[in-house]
Amino acid sequence: MTAPVLEASCRSMLPDGSMVTITATRRPRAGRADVKCSVPGAPAQAERMQQVVRLARHTEPRYDSRDQVVLSADRAFDPASRDWELAAVLADRIVRGVFQAARPVVANGWSDAWHLGRIDGRVLVNVPDSVLAGGPDALPHLGALTGQPDPVAATASARAWFPLHSGGDHDDLGWVDVSVRPLAGAMDSDDDAISVPDLDALRQGQVRAVLAGARHFDGRGQGQWKTTVRFGETGFSGDSYGLALVMADRIARGREFMARGRVIATGTSSAWHAGKVETVDALAPKCALILREAGPGDRILLPKAWESALPQGMREALRARGASLACVERIGII
Amino acid sequence: MLGSLFRNPLRRPPRQDAFDATMLGSVAIALPAPSGITIPAPCAAVLVDRGGRSRRLAAGSRIAALEGETAWCVHPGPYSCDLVPFASAPEIGLRVSFAVDASDPRATHQRFDLFLASEAGSAVELAGFGALAQTALQRELAQGNLELPPCTTLEEWNTFRSGFNQLMYTRFGVTVDDCVPVDLGAAHDYPALLEARLAAQAVPVTAAASAEPAAALTAEAFVPACEDARALRRLFLELPCLMCAVRMAVLPADQGRFRQHQELLRRLDLVSLSVGTMPALELAAPGRPLAPEEQLRRARHTRRAAAALDEAWALLARMKVAGEGPLDVLFDEADRIVANLETETGARRVTHVQDEVAA
Repeated sequence: MTAPVLEASCRSMLPDGSMVTITATRRPRAGRADVKCSVPGAPAQAERMQQVVRLARHTEPRYDSRDQVVLSADRAFDPASRDWELAAVLADRIVRGVFQAARPVVANGWSDAWHLGRIDGRVLVNVPDSVLAGGPDALPHLGALTGQPDPVAATASARAWFPLHSGGDHDDLGWVDVSVRPLAGAMDSDDDAISVPDLDALRQGQVRAVLAGARHFDGRGQGQWKTTVRFGETGFSGDSYGLALVMADRIARGREFMARGRVIATGTSSAWHAGKVETVDALAPKCALILREAGPGDRILLPKAWESALPQGMREALRARGASLACVERIGII
Repeated sequence: MLGSLFRNPLRRPPRQDAFDATMLGSVAIALPAPSGITIPAPCAAVLVDRGGRSRRLAAGSRIAALEGETAWCVHPGPYSCDLVPFASAPEIGLRVSFAVDASDPRATHQRFDLFLASEAGSAVELAGFGALAQTALQRELAQGNLELPPCTTLEEWNTFRSGFNQLMYTRFGVTVDDCVPVDLGAAHDYPALLEARLAAQAVPVTAAASAEPAAALTAEAFVPACEDARALRRLFLELPCLMCAVRMAVLPADQGRFRQHQELLRRLDLVSLSVGTMPALELAAPGRPLAPEEQLRRARHTRRAAAALDEAWALLARMKVAGEGPLDVLFDEADRIVANLETETGARRVTHVQDEVAA
C-alpha cells in the first residue's frame, strides 16, 4: 500500500491567467462533516464546493467515513466562472489517494452532473498544454483520467497509454483514445467509418489496417461502429503503439476485461487478424520508463518475447505499487 | 390433531395453491412452499422462524411449519447464469454454474438459509439471484479486491477464481462448480445498447438542462419505508452471523492482533445492538411524526449500512482466502467497513442533521 497523503493541492487557472490554489487536507473525522470547505469571503462558493465534492464522490466504488477532508481556496473565485470545480474534485481525490498525479495538477472544468462523473466544459479559452482541461473535447468524464469508458454516455471511448519513443530519459507515455458510436445503417467497408484526424495519410492507413485486423480477429465490430481515433501526442515513432491501440479499441467496444487504472501497452503485430502480438525493440529503456510512470491499478502489457529478459525485480516493484504486468502472446480471452 | 387438520386448509393464503415445483431447478432456486406438502425428490425445505432461525427438512418428508415459520422449497441445482463483470464491457462475461450448498454439518448456520431468511422476500428466481451475484462481483472488481485485468493470464485467472468461489460461498452460500469467460456479443449487443442510451438521453436533455444538478439524486425511485425495513432486517439478522464468522475466520497470531480482533468484534457488537434498538422510521419521538424528507434521509442511511454489510461479507471471503500475509490490509479494510456501519447506523438514529459547511 502507498503511504497516506495528508495534504494535497490542485490549481486552477482563472481567465486572466492567474492561479487559484485549492488545498486539501485529510484528518480524522471525529464526528464532524465528511467535507469541509472554505473560500475567503465567499461562503456561498464554499457551499457549492462542498456540494460538488460530495456529488463527485458518488462515482467512487469505495466509501470511507473515517476521514474528514478540508478544502480551502487561497482566494475567492469569479462568481461567473466555475472552472475551479474540477480542481476541487481532483484535490479531494488526490488527498485520499483515489487519484495519483505524477506531477502538480492544474485543472479547469465544470459540470452539472458531477454525480455521474461527467465534465461538461470549461470557461478557459486558450488552454496551455500543462492544464488538464475538462470538457467533451478534452477530458469528458472523471473515469477518462485512467482511460475508462463513461458508463452512461452514448459514445464509448477508452484510452490506452504507450511509450512514445524508445524509452529513455526524455520519453514519456502518450495516450491513444478510441471512441466508438453505433453506426446506424449498414456500410460496405468499415474502413470509411474510422477517422484519425491527428495523423498524416500514411499513418491513418496503418491505424485503419490495425483496427480492421483486430476486429476481424474478434468476429464482431465490423461495420457496426463509427470510430474516431485520437492521439495525445502525434510525434511518436515506430509502430509499437499497435497493442495500445487495439486494447483501447477492444475496451471501447466493451469486449475486454478492465483494469482499475490505465492500460499501458507496447507491442506490434503483422497478423492482428490472428490476434498475435509480436515483439518490439528497446526493452530496457521502455521498461525503465514504464516502471517510472506506473501507478496503482495500472495494467502493463508487453510482448511475450520480453518475458525472459525483463529487468530483475520489475514485477515485484510493480506489484508493490499496485500495478500488474503481463507478457502476452495473443489478445482476447485467455 | 384432528382440529389442526381441519383448520389448515382454511388458513391457507390463496398463493399457496399456486405452488409449482416444475419451476424449481430451472428458473427458480427457491419457492415459498405451503405447509403440508411433501418435499419433491432433489429439493430440500428450509423453514425460517420470525427470529431468523432456520432448519432444514430433507426430501420426502412433509413440511410441517410451526407457528410463525415460513417455508421454502429449495432445489440444489446445478444452475447456470451469465454475469457481466464490468458494467462498461457488456460483451464479455462469465458463464457461472453453481449449486446450492448441501447442509454443512460443521456450520452452526447455513449461509444460504440465512440468505433466504434475510434477503428473499418470497421466491428466489435465478435471474434475480444472478443480478445480486453480479452486483457483488462488480463491486469487488471495482474496489480492486478481485482482479480481472485485460489479457488475464492463467495465474491471475486462478487467483480470481479462488477469490470468486469464496465470495459466492461466503456471501450467498452457493458453490461455484465452473466459471468460464464467454463472449456475450450475441446476447448483449453493445451498439444496440448505446443506441438505446442515446435515444433515452435525447428526450430529457432539454427538460433537465436547467434543472438543479442534485435533483437527479433526490428523484431516486424508492419507497423509504420498504427499503428501510428490508435493510434493517438484513442488518438485524446478518450482523450476529457475520460476527460469529469473523471470530472464526482469524486465528490471532499474537497479543496485538488479538486486541485488534477483539476491538473489531466489540465494535460490530455495538453496531448490532444499535440496529436492534433502532427507532421507528416515521417517528421523531414517541407520538411525534418525522418529516418525509427526513424519513428519506434515514432510509438512505440504512441502505448504505446494508451496502457496508455486503462489503463486510466480501471482506470475510477475502479473510478466508488470504493467508497470514496481508492481514494488516484486511484489518484496515475491516476498520473502514465497521466505521462506515457505525456512521450510517448513527446517522439513521438522529432525527435531523445540521449540515455545516465549515464544521
